Amino acid sequence: MANKDDEFLKRLLVTFAVEAQEHVQGICSGLLRLEQNKDTAEARAELVETVFREAHSLKGAARAVNLIPVETLCQALETVFAALKKDELSLSVGVFDLLQEVLDYLGAVLLTAGAERTHKDKLQQRQLVSRLEGVLKGETQKEESSHRATGVAPPPVITDLPEVPVAEMTNVVPLLPETIRVATHRLISVLLQSEEMLGAKLSSAERLLHMRSTSAVMGSWRKEWTKLLPVVQQCRNSVNSVSPREHMSGTAEKQTTLGKLLDFLDWNSDFINSLETRFTAQLKTTEKDDRLLDGMVTSLLDDVKQVLMIPFSSLLEILPKIVRDLSRTYAKKIEVIITGEKIEIDRRILEEMKDPLVHLVRNCIDHGIESPDERSAKGKPPLGTITITVAPRDNMVELTVVDDGRGISLARVRSAVLKLGKLSEEMVTELSHQELLAQVFQSGITTSPILTEISGRGLGLAIVRQKVGKIGGTVNVVSSSDFGTTFRMLLPLTIATFRGILVRVGERQFVIPAMYVERALRLFPGEIRNVENRKTISLAGVPLSLASLAAVLELPAPLADKEISPQLQIVVLNSSEIRIAFQVDEVLGECEVLHKGLGPQLSRVRNVAGVTLLGNGHVAPILNVIDLLASAIKMSAVTTRPEGTVDTLSPAAEIRSILVAEDSITTRTLLKNILESAGYRVSTAVDGLDALTKLKCNRFDIVVSDVEMPRMNGFDLTARIRADKNLQDLPVILVTALASREDRERGIDVGADAYIVKGSFDQSNLLEVLHKLI
Amino acid sequence: MDAITPRGEADRKRIFRKRAELLARETDQHEREEEQIDVVEFILSGEQYAIESAYVNAAHSMKDLTQLPCTPPFVLGVVNMRGKILSVIDLRVFFELPRRALSDLNMLIVLQNDTMKFAILADVIVGSRRIPRTSLLATLPTLTGIRAEYLLGITPERLVVLDGGKVLCDSRMVVHEEV
Repeated sequence: MANKDDEFLKRLLVTFAVEAQEHVQGICSGLLRLEQNKDTAEARAELVETVFREAHSLKGAARAVNLIPVETLCQALETVFAALKKDELSLSVGVFDLLQEVLDYLGAVLLTAGAERTHKDKLQQRQLVSRLEGVLKGETQKEESSHRATGVAPPPVITDLPEVPVAEMTNVVPLLPETIRVATHRLISVLLQSEEMLGAKLSSAERLLHMRSTSAVMGSWRKEWTKLLPVVQQCRNSVNSVSPREHMSGTAEKQTTLGKLLDFLDWNSDFINSLETRFTAQLKTTEKDDRLLDGMVTSLLDDVKQVLMIPFSSLLEILPKIVRDLSRTYAKKIEVIITGEKIEIDRRILEEMKDPLVHLVRNCIDHGIESPDERSAKGKPPLGTITITVAPRDNMVELTVVDDGRGISLARVRSAVLKLGKLSEEMVTELSHQELLAQVFQSGITTSPILTEISGRGLGLAIVRQKVGKIGGTVNVVSSSDFGTTFRMLLPLTIATFRGILVRVGERQFVIPAMYVERALRLFPGEIRNVENRKTISLAGVPLSLASLAAVLELPAPLADKEISPQLQIVVLNSSEIRIAFQVDEVLGECEVLHKGLGPQLSRVRNVAGVTLLGNGHVAPILNVIDLLASAIKMSAVTTRPEGTVDTLSPAAEIRSILVAEDSITTRTLLKNILESAGYRVSTAVDGLDALTKLKCNRFDIVVSDVEMPRMNGFDLTARIRADKNLQDLPVILVTALASREDRERGIDVGADAYIVKGSFDQSNLLEVLHKLI
Repeated sequence: MDAITPRGEADRKRIFRKRAELLARETDQHEREEEQIDVVEFILSGEQYAIESAYVNAAHSMKDLTQLPCTPPFVLGVVNMRGKILSVIDLRVFFELPRRALSDLNMLIVLQNDTMKFAILADVIVGSRRIPRTSLLATLPTLTGIRAEYLLGITPERLVVLDGGKVLCDSRMVVHEEV
C-alpha cells in the first residue's frame, strides 16, 4: 500500500513540477510588468489579480502533492498579493527584490521536489516567510538592512542560487517529463488525416473480399470440370480406339478434330490451374498486406487519439488524496465517490478543469461538509460524501460535484454581496434565490466566517467560473440547506469517443450511444400488446411503450424486411428514468464512436447529435437519445393511429415487387425510398447485367431501369427481357436523362412500356405510371 | 498639339512630368470603370449561376452523401471532407427549380466566411471567370422571392450572379430545431 502511494506521489510530482513552473513563471512575469510601472491603474489591478490567482493555484497544487514548503511560501505570497489588491501595500524596489527572490527559491525547490531537504533550505525558507510577513508589517526596509548587516540573509540571488540548484539539477532532471508542446490545431489536423487512413484500410478489406469471391468462382469451375472429366475420358478413348474400318468412312477426320479439341481442353484445364495457383498466391499476399495495413492504421489511429484524448480519471485520481489529507486536517470524515471517470475528453479541456475541480472539492470539505458531531446532531451519517460524476449530456459532458453537507447559507451570501458593495441593498433584496446563489461565483464573495489557510478569500469559485467559461462550458450551483450543494458543469466534448450501437432502419444506418441502450432484444410480433391504442411490450414484467425508430425519425416505413425475419428487433433506450422500446430493422453491432459536429449551418438537428465515421469509411448519424425519447412521447400523444394504416396503399392484395436497375447509388436509393414508401417491395441492381441475373433468379412484377448504365444499358436490358420467353411479358419502365425524340423512339422500339424523362420525373409521375402498369 | 521646342532641360522635364501624370490619371480612371469580380460559374438544374470566388473555399465532386433525418428539405445531408463534416445545401429548393436525381457526378461548392461554412450543390462547375461589375444588371422582374434576395446581379448573357455574403449570412439557412 505504502509502495503504491509512493508510486502515485511520484507520478503526481512529475505532473506538479510542470504545472508549478508555469505558475511561478506567471507570477514572475506579472511582477516584472508591475515593476516596470508602465500600465494604467486598471491594468495594474488586473495584473495584481493575475499574480494573486497564480499564487493561489500554485498553493492548491502544492497542497495536493504535500509540498509543505511551497505551500507555506505561497500562502505568504498570497497574503502579500491580497494586501496589494486592497491597496494596503505599496510596492517598493525592496519588496520586488524580495518577491523575485522568493520566486527563485520556489523555482529551485520545484526542481528538487521530492528530494531530501537540507537544513540550509529550511532555514532559508523560514527567513523568506518571515520577511514576507515583515513586508506586511511595513518592515521591509529595516528587515532587509538588518539581514544584510548581520549577513544572515541569503546572498543575492545571482550569486547564491546557481550554486545550489545546478548541482541538484543534474540529479533531478530525469524526473521532469520529456514533453513537447505542439499547437493543438496541428494535432487535430494529424488526427483528421489519420482518420482518413481508415479509407485505405477499408478499401483493402473490400478488395480482399472481391478476390475471395473470385477465388470461389474458380471452385465452381473445378466442380464443373470434374463432372465433365469422365465424358472427356470417354471421348478420348473413342478417339484412340478408332478401328481401320472407320478410317475408311471419313469419321477419322472427325476424330482427329475431336482429338484436337480434347487436347485444347486439357491445355485449358492446365492453364486455368496455373492461373488459379497464381491467383491464390496473390490472394495470400493481399491477405498479408491487408492484415498489415489494418494493424498499422488501427494502431496509428489509437496513438493519435491517445495524443489528444485522456480519460477523466487522470484528473480525478488526484482527488482522493486531497480529500484524505484535508479531511484529516479538519477532523472530518469524508469519502469520495467517483463515477464515469473512464469517459475520455480532449486533454485541453481536462487541463483547464484541474484548478476548478480542486477548488470545488476543497470548498466541499471546508464549507460544505460538517464535522462528524454536527452531522450526528442533524441525524446524518457521520461520514460525509462527495460525489463526483462524469456523464455525457447531449453534445457535452456533465461534471457534477455533489456534497451532502450543510449547503450554502443564502443569508451569508447576501451579507457578503452587500459587503463587496457592487450591488445596492435594494438590488440584492430583489434577487431570486437562484440569482443570489449565483453570486458565489463573484470574485471576493465568501461565506466563510473565518479565513483559513486553504480558503475563505472568495477566490476559488471565481476561478471556477472563469476557467469553465474559457473552454466554452457553463457552471451552475444548486444548494439546499442541510442537504448539500451540487455544482454542475457542462463542458464541451470536442473530440470524445464512446461506444455506440449501430442499427439499421431501411437503407440507413444510425449510431445510438451505448450508454443509453439498456438492452437489445428480439420479439415475436404477437408479443406486442395494444394498450389504449399504443403499442407496448413487456420487459421482465414491466410494460414499455414501443415506438418505431423509422417513424420517430420521420423516415418512410420500411416494408421490405417484414418477411425476412419473423421476429422484431427492439432496442430499449433509457435516459433519466424514461424508458422506451424502439423497433429497428437490424442491430448491426457495436462500434467506437468518434463524435463529429454537423458544422455551423446545422446548429441543432432534432434527434441527431452529430455524426461519426463508421469502420467502412461511411458517415453515420449519431442519434440524440434524449431527443428521441421526447419525440417518441410527443408522437404517441399526437398520433394514435392503429397499426396497419401504412399498408392501405397496397390493400389486402399481395405486395408487388419491383426491380430497380440504376448505376448511381443516390438515384437508386432515392427510387428505392420512393417506391418502398408507396408500399412496394423493392430490389435493386447496379446495371443491366445484374438486373438480368436477378430477373432469372426471382420473380418481379415490374422493372424500373435507368438507360445509361455500364456493362448493359437499359435499351439492351429491355431487348433481352423481350427476347426471353419467361420474361417477355414483364413490364419495363425506362427512367432516363436522355430526353431526345430518337431515344424515346428507341425505347419504344426495344419494347419498353413506359419512358420517363428524369427532368419531368417526380414521385407522383412514376407512381402513376407504375399503378397503370401493374 | 505642342511641339517640343528645345527650351532647355528644365522645361522638358516639366512637360514629361505633366504627361506622365496625365497618363497615370487616365489609367486610374480606366481601371475604376473596369472593376472586375471573380466568380465561379456553375449549372444548377440546367440554369447558369455564378457566385463570387471570394466566398468559395473549394469545389469537390459529391460522393458518399449521408442523409440526415429530421432536417428541412433544403438540407441534402452531410459529407466527410478530409475528416471534416460539411453540410450540403440544395439551393434548388429555395429557387423552386426542378429537383433531378442526384448522381456521383454532382459537384459541391464549399462556401465559407468567418462564421459560416457549408457546401451548395451544383450539376456541373463550368469554371471561374472575371466579369466587370458594371456589366451586372440589377435584377429581372421575373426573379422574385429568395432568388432576388440572394442576387448580386445578372450579366447581359443572363448569368445569375449570387451574393455569396448574403447566402452565407442568411439566418434561414441555419437549422436549429428542438424537439
